[in-house]
Amino acid sequence: MSNIVQANPDFIVEIGSGSGVIITALAAVLKDARCFATDINPEACIATSNTSILNNVSVEVCNMTLLTCFKEYLFDVIVFNPPYVVTDTEEVFGNGIARAWAGGIDGCEVINQFLKLLPNLMSSKGICYLLLIKENKPLEIINMLYGMKFNVDIVKQRKVPCEHLYVLKIYK
Amino acid sequence: MKLLTHNMLTSKCMKGVNIGYPLKIKAVDLKESEVDFNPDFISRIIPKLDWNVLVSAASSIGKNENLPEDLLPEYEKNTEFLKRVHHVLLEVDVVNGELICPESGRKFPINNGIPNMILNEDEV
Repeated sequence: MSNIVQANPDFIVEIGSGSGVIITALAAVLKDARCFATDINPEACIATSNTSILNNVSVEVCNMTLLTCFKEYLFDVIVFNPPYVVTDTEEVFGNGIARAWAGGIDGCEVINQFLKLLPNLMSSKGICYLLLIKENKPLEIINMLYGMKFNVDIVKQRKVPCEHLYVLKIYK
Repeated sequence: MKLLTHNMLTSKCMKGVNIGYPLKIKAVDLKESEVDFNPDFISRIIPKLDWNVLVSAASSIGKNENLPEDLLPEYEKNTEFLKRVHHVLLEVDVVNGELICPESGRKFPINNGIPNMILNEDEV
């Protein structure tokens, strides 16, 4: 959190905000920024909106896939807890709640789709925080990001039952 | 949906749409609420906005607040002006209505302040 505060962002967005807890917490701390959230699930969008209202902060919520309907180079901070679970590809594109977690092959299908867009999403001082698990092959993803001229730090690793989690900080 | 958000949204990801900007607004319900005024923040984000789009969007929903067609010189020193921009950008919400793609006419409904920008498979 202190890293994000230091970056002094104007526009922050969370992709796949779900309940809205994370973007609401960011909005509560970063009073000088405007916070946005997207989710493909309309129920999640309502949940995010309600969570922000109950906590007296302002979050602008849009029902959309990733950030596909936003103009380019806008966001100073992008936070994404992607659907990273290894599943069949069909689940990634289904209509059910599985889209909240289903990542397809290596759990990377949505992650890769997102990373391809990332260079055009971030502002010049942009930072992206991306959550991964070991099955996503984080080292391969980091190498790919180096190839895209990004800097990458692993800012956190945590082992919980069944999951070894990584948080990547990706910046230009 | 605030006019700040409208300024940032486009339908260009749709098949056959080139620019998809600015989206037209059809507002059915508007809400106004008080948001803390931060003149530094407003000054910082004005260069990131499409000013003409903001002015015409505000006019189209009847909330223009006498914003000038051209940005004032040295606006960062003009607190009264920054307050009006603050109001239009952050204190006016489109609660229910539609966003409309300027090229295809595709309508994106806004319900409870949340625009639905989800596209069908055959639209991307």
